[in-house]
Formats: sequence, C-alpha cells, structure tokens
Amino acid sequence: MSGYLIIYVFVVLAAVAAAGFMAVRKGENQVVIRTSIILVISACYLMWAITYLAQLHPLIKPRRSDLKPSHVGPESDYLY
Amino acid sequence: MSDQRVSQYPSLLRSEQMSLVQLYVPIDQAHSVVEELAELQRVQFKDLNPDVNPFQRTYVSQIRRCDEAERRLRFLTQQITAQAIPIRPFEDTVALLAGRSGPQALEELDTRLAESEQRVAAMNGSYESLEKRALELEEARQVLRETDVFFSEATSRTQEIRSSFDEPSAPLLGDVEAGAGAGESGFGGGFELEFVAGTIDRARMATFERVLWRVLRGNLYMNYAEIDDSALPVPTSVAGDSAGGEEKKLRKNAFIIFAHGQDLLDKIRKIAESMGATLFPIDSNADKREEKLREVTSRIEDLNSVLYNTNQTRRAELAKIGESISAWWAVVLKEKVVYTTLNLWQWDQGRKTLVAEGWVPTRDIPTVQAALRRASENAGTSVSAILHELRTHKDPPTFHRTNKFTDAFQSIIDAYGVASYQEVNPGLFTVITFPFLFAVMFGDIGHGIVMMLSALTLILIENKFKKGTGNEIFDTFFYGRYIIFLMGLFAIFTGFMYNDIFSLSLHLAKSQFRWPTDFEKGTVVEAIQTAARYPFGIDPAWHGTDNALIFTNSLKMKMSVVIGVIHMSFAICLQVLNHLHFKKPELIWAEFLPQILFMESIFGYLIGCIVYKWSVDWEAVGRNPPNLLNMLIKLFLSPGNVDPDDQLYPGQAGVQVFLLLLALVCVPWMLCTKPYLLYREHQKIVEQGYHGIGSTSNQNGGGLLSGDEGESDGEGHGVVAEEMDEEHEFDMGEHVIHQVIHTIEFCLGCISNTASYLRLWALSLAHAQLSEVLWSMTLDKAFAMEGIAGIIFTFLMFSMWFTLTVAILIVMEGLSAFLHALRLHWVEFNGKFYGGAGTAFTPLTFDGCDEIPEGVL
Repeated sequence: MSGYLIIYVFVVLAAVAAAGFMAVRKGENQVVIRTSIILVISACYLMWAITYLAQLHPLIKPRRSDLKPSHVGPESDYLY
Repeated sequence: MSDQRVSQYPSLLRSEQMSLVQLYVPIDQAHSVVEELAELQRVQFKDLNPDVNPFQRTYVSQIRRCDEAERRLRFLTQQITAQAIPIRPFEDTVALLAGRSGPQALEELDTRLAESEQRVAAMNGSYESLEKRALELEEARQVLRETDVFFSEATSRTQEIRSSFDEPSAPLLGDVEAGAGAGESGFGGGFELEFVAGTIDRARMATFERVLWRVLRGNLYMNYAEIDDSALPVPTSVAGDSAGGEEKKLRKNAFIIFAHGQDLLDKIRKIAESMGATLFPIDSNADKREEKLREVTSRIEDLNSVLYNTNQTRRAELAKIGESISAWWAVVLKEKVVYTTLNLWQWDQGRKTLVAEGWVPTRDIPTVQAALRRASENAGTSVSAILHELRTHKDPPTFHRTNKFTDAFQSIIDAYGVASYQEVNPGLFTVITFPFLFAVMFGDIGHGIVMMLSALTLILIENKFKKGTGNEIFDTFFYGRYIIFLMGLFAIFTGFMYNDIFSLSLHLAKSQFRWPTDFEKGTVVEAIQTAARYPFGIDPAWHGTDNALIFTNSLKMKMSVVIGVIHMSFAICLQVLNHLHFKKPELIWAEFLPQILFMESIFGYLIGCIVYKWSVDWEAVGRNPPNLLNMLIKLFLSPGNVDPDDQLYPGQAGVQVFLLLLALVCVPWMLCTKPYLLYREHQKIVEQGYHGIGSTSNQNGGGLLSGDEGESDGEGHGVVAEEMDEEHEFDMGEHVIHQVIHTIEFCLGCISNTASYLRLWALSLAHAQLSEVLWSMTLDKAFAMEGIAGIIFTFLMFSMWFTLTVAILIVMEGLSAFLHALRLHWVEFNGKFYGGAGTAFTPLTFDGCDEIPEGVL
C-alpha cells in the first residue's frame, strides 16, 4: 500500500459525503443532518489520513530491550 | 425585514426570522388569548407601559388577589407538609381543572381557599390552646407528685430536724414541728406553715433561688426537684421553633417554698411570677392532695382524647386539601402569569380593546392567528383578535428552534453568548466538532465504549426522567446525554486511531514492522521496516516499545496543529456567510480576505510543510529530514536564509519570503480598509442630505404619524415613532481604535490560538499515559501471580482497576477534556467569526406553573 491510498479514500469518502448530502430528505432537520454527515466524514478522514501519512515513511522504528529470542519468529510476529 | 421570504424549513444555521406584531384584543377575550398564546409559547410581549409603575397598572387588583391566594396556598402547603401528609402530584390532579380556568375559577378558588385557611387556622388555634392547657395540667400533676415527696420526706426527717435545731434553715421547720407536735402526730392534719408551690424553667432555677434568698433574707425553706424531661408534652408551637435542631424538650423544676407570713408569701408569688414560674395551689393535706392528683389525672386523660380528636379532624381536612392543592397552585400561578402579561398591554379607551406588541417568529404567525381564533371561540365571541405586522428597525430577539438532540449543543454556545439576530450559529457545527475535539483528547476504545453505553442507557430511558430528578449532578449529565453519546462514539474512533483499548493495543491488520530473529538477549533491538503499511491507526508494533512515546508525541503534536489550523480556517470562512447575509459583500475583501491570507501564509504553510515532510521518503532521498520547528522560527528571524542542509524543498527561501511579506501586508490591509469603508458610507449619507435626522425631526415624525391615524392611535404607534430616534453619531476615532484593537487581537490571536490547540496533544498524551500507569500498577501485576493467591489478587485488582478507570479516567479525565473542548470552541473557534451580542427570545409560557414552587415544601 502506498500514499495513493490517502487519495483513493478521499475520493470514496467525498462520494459517500455527496451521496449522504443528497439522500437527506427535506424537513426540519435537513440542515443539521447534512452538516453532521459532512463534518463527521471530514473529521474522521482527517484524523485517519494524518495517522496513515505519519507512518508512511517512518523516521524512527520501534525499539525494545525486553525482547527474548523465543518470542520472535514467523508465528510470533503476531505478538509484537 | 418582514418582506424577506421565509425559507420552507427552519434551520439551525441562523436564528429564526422574527416579526414585530401588534394585536388588537377585545377586552372580553383578553384572558383566553393570553392563555392560548402561553400554551403556544411563540410570542414574546413587549412592555407598552414602561412609564407606568407596577401599582398603577390595569390588572393590579387581580395580581394582588393572586398573591393573596398564593399566600393562603403557601400556608396550607406548609401545614400539610408539617403533618407529613402526602400531596397528590399535579399529573393526577390535572383532571380537577378540566374546563375550569379564568377569572371565575380564580374567584371560586379564592373563596374556597379562604374558607379552608380559616378552618385550619381555627383548628390550629384551638389545638394550641388545648395543648397549653394539657401542659399546665401535666405540670400541676408533677408538682403534686414532687411536693408529695417533700412532705413525706419532711415527716420522716422530723427527728433529724429536731436534733439539728441550731442550723440556719432549721428554725422554720422547727416552728412547724413545735406547732404540729403539740396536737397531731406529724404533718398530716395541722400543718400551719404556709407555702408556695409551682414550676419554673430549669435554667432560671439558680437565679430564682438567689433572688429569693436575698429578698427574704434567708427566711425561707426551699425545696425543688427536677421534673423528668419526658413527662412534659411539648406543644407544637414550641417544637416548631427548633427548626433543624435537636428535639426540643421542656426542662422544668418543681419547687416548693415554705415561708412565714402573708407578706413574705406575696413577695414570693410576685417574684415567681416575674420570673415566669407557674404557681399551683397545693393543699397541705395528704388526702386532699391525693384526691387532687386523681382529678388532675382524669382531666389530663380527657384532654388528651380531645386533643387526639382535634388533630384527627385537622389531618382529615388537610388530607382533603392535599388531594387537590397542586391543581390549585397551578390555577393561581397561571392566573398570575396571565395578569402580569395583560399588564404589559395598553388599554385603548376609544375602541374598548387592548393593544399588545410582541415578537413572533415569522414562520409561526399563522399558528398564532389560529390560536387567536381558538381563543375567541373559547371566550364565546364571534369577533377574533386582530394581528398585524409592524415594520421596525429594532433588533429582534434570537430564537433557535432546537430539538432534544440539538438543544444541549446549542446551550454550549448560548453559554458563551446568545447569537446576534440571524448571524451564523456555531451551534450547528458544534454538534460534530465538539465531540470530535473532545475525543482527540480522550482517545481510547474501552473508555469510549463505557461512555457511549452509559449515555445510551440514559437515552433509552429518557422518558422516565423528563421532569428531572432533583439531583442536580444527575440532571446535568442527563441533559447532556446526546453530547456524551457522541463523545463516546468519537472516542471509540480516535481510540482506533491511537490503537488504545484500556491502554492495550489491537492488532487488526499485518504490522508494518518485523522483529529481527538473531540478537543477544538484553540488548536493544530495532524492528525492521517491511513493505506493508498498517492501514488503520497507529501500528501495534509500537505498543510497549522503548521509543513509543517519542513517536506518538511527534504524531499527536503535529496532528493537533493540523486539526487546529483547519478548525480555525473554517471559522474564518464562516465570516463570508455572515457578510453575504447582512448584504455587506465589501467586507469579504476588507475583512475576510486579509484574515484568511494572514492565517494561511503562516500556519497554513506550516501544516503544508508538516504534510510534505511526512509524504517524503527521507531514507530514499538520502538526506536528514529538516526540523520544522526551527524552520518556523527562522522564517521570522532570518527570512530568506535557508540552510541547504535544512532545506525542505528547492526554492524554499523565496516562497517563505513571499509568504512573510504577504502576512505583513495583511496587517495594514486589515487595519485601514474597514474604517475607510465606514467613513465612505457616512460621507455618502451626509451628501444625500440626511444629516441630523435623528435629533431634529423626531417630534415631527411622531406628530405626523398620530395625526394621520387619528387621535386614538397616537399611543399605539408611539413605539414605531420612537424607533426613528436611532441614528448614531459617526465617530471616526472610535472606529479606528476599535479596528486597531481588532487587528492586533487577530494577529496575536492566530499565534496563541494555534499554540492553544496543542492542548489536544497534551491531554491525549496524559490520558494515554495515565491509563497505561493504572494498568501496569494493578491488573498487570495481578496477572503475573499464579495459583489461588493469583486468582484472589486478580479479582481484587480487577475491581480496583475498574473503579479507578471509571472514576479517574472516564469521569475526571472526561470532565477535563470536556472543559478543554469547550474552551477551544468558545475562544479559538467562536472568536474568529461569532458576535454573540443578541438577546434570547423568551416567549410567554406557563412553564413551571405545574409545580409547587421551591421553598414552600
């Protein structure tokens, strides 16, 4: 996976937001629901994109001193 | 204003469009009109008689009658609560009110209340006097008993007294002995010495004794005994005084004083009475005393049964009142609201109508008209009240149509300031941004789930608590249940992003790191980067590593700056909606444009750099990544100089100089354009020849209006004429100073507000660390133990961990994150575009009339 995932997700979510915007029926709460949909999607996307982007090219790598050789192996990859 | 088209549906973006309306209400339906409108809760009446003091208004006598009825109700309610009789709640008594309201109901109720009050007061009076009588009799009985003891003691001590003849107190009794001893044997028959007997307050006993001793120069023999506390009944009037204190008791002493001679006895009586003692005639004859005792006892018994009966009758009366008193309260309180409202209206002598003015949401005018028709039907008249709109330049009140979901969010904004009329309402965006910013500081899946579920419980059982429980803390949480629910949901999401569940981590996909297999135990091992990227949140490989904090620190700090700058830029953009709506498009380039350019050229550039630095693979480039903090500092200190080693991208120096100059240009731009625009506008008005309209033509304008409409209308339109007096003096200096302050505030604010968003970083870090410490101090230790002890220890530690998690991590940390989110909305977000200088719409309502007022119960 690469940095383009951020753009793909953006496109998908923009489509979802647009669809949500259209789908809200007219009524007293139309404005509240539309605003909420767009804000929820943009806030959550923003946070996800930041965390994803920050780990795309990590400048530091996890380091630990409490590792035992028995812990490490193909199957215990799951643990750490 | 009223000719603007009203959109089809109300929205939370702007407050409702309001209309100033005038009502002409025939006097005979005024009452039912007010009732209907109060039920509707859509009209806020203006006071049309501001010069008339409260005692000269039309409906003063009715209000006074309501006050009188309220006083009676208060008296009766207090009597009922004093007797611990249950009061039927309003919901059950509302049926009693069916179809009965208005002046007749009040009158009927008034006579009924007067009757009840009189009866209860009379019963209270007779009960009190009976109680007093019972107390007196009881005291008499005690005195009889105690004196009996004195007499019998005296008899048995005859010999002793005779032998101690020369003691100071002996002579009196010695005389008795001498007199008595001549004829009879002992005191029984020929007791000649006279005495006074009675009771006195125990506290006064010592003084009493001393005074007597001084006055009679020691010529007395006194004996006293304490009456048992429990023997004396405490009258309700006395018991009621000791509010809240310990149970009040009468502490009294019975005394008997022997003295010689009528003069001395009179003196003793006078002194005793002056000190509040009660005297009782006691016979020296033992048989007679016995007889008296019997008589007193039987009278006490009679009295007690009468007391009991009186109390029963009183209780029955009060219980009957208690059945319907909440409905009576409602009638009286509602009538009071009605007449207070009617007092705001103006009486039109010529047309025999009342004139009312008030604000109504334009959208609700048809509903109000329907209510007026209903009122006229109820009043049984064919002519309904007339409503027509007035044109005005007054600032209408602000009315946001909220529902149970948006209400609490709106109140967060209203607590900062009620929106100016029709300005963009931040409450609409708060619905999402508030819980989101909260959750950035509170990111933990587990804590979020607990919070979300508890709020969900409150939402599911909300019908039970509609009325409130009276517990202030619970009611506050209950009021904010939808906020808490959303806060919980977002906390779950941010928990996934931080990969934190009760300080542990989830492993949802393949980690992007791999640990090397060949290393020596105890050395520091660094993970190896693989081609994969963890797709959702922070990679679980970071959990528990030595440098996890360094990584999350950097991530969370940058994240809070990015979120903060976007949040503030959004707030600045909302200005545009205001400028367009208030028909001031020139402010877009005079105010909005320099502000947004200033913001983006410094902080927008910063977040651009942050994102760019993240997106570059520095290892592949083969250079050390530059430090962004130093870059920002150098941007200000030595613009145009970028060290090639610290260069983020080619051409960086030129871009930075341009952006800095752009930001600098924005300052005078902000400073000068708005005052200039105001000045130009003012010049235009002056050129058109409207100068001084406010000061000179006011009387003419008012006179013209009343002249056109006829004499009787003069008062009705007085308000409209008055509104013309609102021309402001133009003061250039004031505008300039205001703009200078505004500009400085904005420019400095941009820097300090961006720094302020770093609280998102600090709090989320603190939250994560605290929950990790709690985990490692409790449950982690317990899991290390084995055997039975391990099970018990785990159980204990789990309960401790769970309690502390809820109390500290969810409730306390939640409150602090809530407060910080509140601040970010009030200062950093609202400060960019929100005036908040409006007045809230307070419609006429019967709210609170259903309950007996606090302080009465």
